[in-house]
Amino acid sequence: MAVTIRRLEESDEVEGFDCGDEPLNNYLKRHAWTNQQKVSIGVTYVGVDESASRTVLGFFTLAASSVPRDRLPKKYVRGLPPYDLPLILLARLAVDKRFSGRGLGHALLSEALKITLRVADEVGCRCIVTDAYPDKAGWYARYGFLPLESAAATSPQKMFLDVRTIRRASSIDSFLPERA
Amino acid sequence: MPPAVKEKSKKVAALPAKAPLPCKLKFQADLAPSEDSMVRILKTELQMTSNTDFLSDALALLRWAVSERKRGHHIVSESSTGERKILLFPRLERVAPEMTLPRVDVRWTDKELESLAELASGQPADPTDALIRAMRQ
Repeated sequence: MAVTIRRLEESDEVEGFDCGDEPLNNYLKRHAWTNQQKVSIGVTYVGVDESASRTVLGFFTLAASSVPRDRLPKKYVRGLPPYDLPLILLARLAVDKRFSGRGLGHALLSEALKITLRVADEVGCRCIVTDAYPDKAGWYARYGFLPLESAAATSPQKMFLDVRTIRRASSIDSFLPERA
Repeated sequence: MPPAVKEKSKKVAALPAKAPLPCKLKFQADLAPSEDSMVRILKTELQMTSNTDFLSDALALLRWAVSERKRGHHIVSESSTGERKILLFPRLERVAPEMTLPRVDVRWTDKELESLAELASGQPADPTDALIRAMRQ
């Protein structure tokens, strides 16, 4: 299977997509295209097999956001630039359950992080943040996402990854054995 | 007789409309002498004789560049020694996806904001093996 990741297009086949989570399925089928092209509140990228280039196997959605500086606790703002904190929101990421376990989630997250780095290089952003389902928090933690403390054990869990960590990862040349 | 005329006119109306002829667009540009000279040099180098061919090839190249940049790909030249240069063309950057990421408001609790500020203002964590692999992919 040779997977290509690109922006969602109107003619993509999304009706058969099933990641096992109805809100995520529904988002892709009913809202992703509208949100991308009409109301511009999120850009969705899809993973497709080159042999069936319209069938969506997995997707993620990104948006830009920022936290106003005056909402951040005073004891920390001295360590931050004197501006609002720009960030990328990884709003959704899902893989069709028929294709799970083949590294597609890794490929999608990899692309999302590369886009984040390009955004940081070209327009500036400090981190990527996601809302992870509690049972997926461990998967994000493997990539270095750190859980943000929350007042209550609510679902989902907000997680944070510093762009400086991503940049450092992209510049490491040392040999790492491929995962089995 | 009125009925025959009616029938005839109906038949005429039912004929399929003529397909419009493909319209060729004329393109005229005012070029500065230096640009005109550049066009001539390029045409010579590319062994082109017509301006139409020149414009057609330039259009194909620009169309490809726009489609690549729209996908977030960079356009890179690589020398024989491996030195790479990335094309930075301001008009192309306008179509790059990273420039068109829409903005949204995220709902934060005070506790989450405190945690976010603490992490963002501190030293970055070392990358994990999985992250290094992801960035290498």
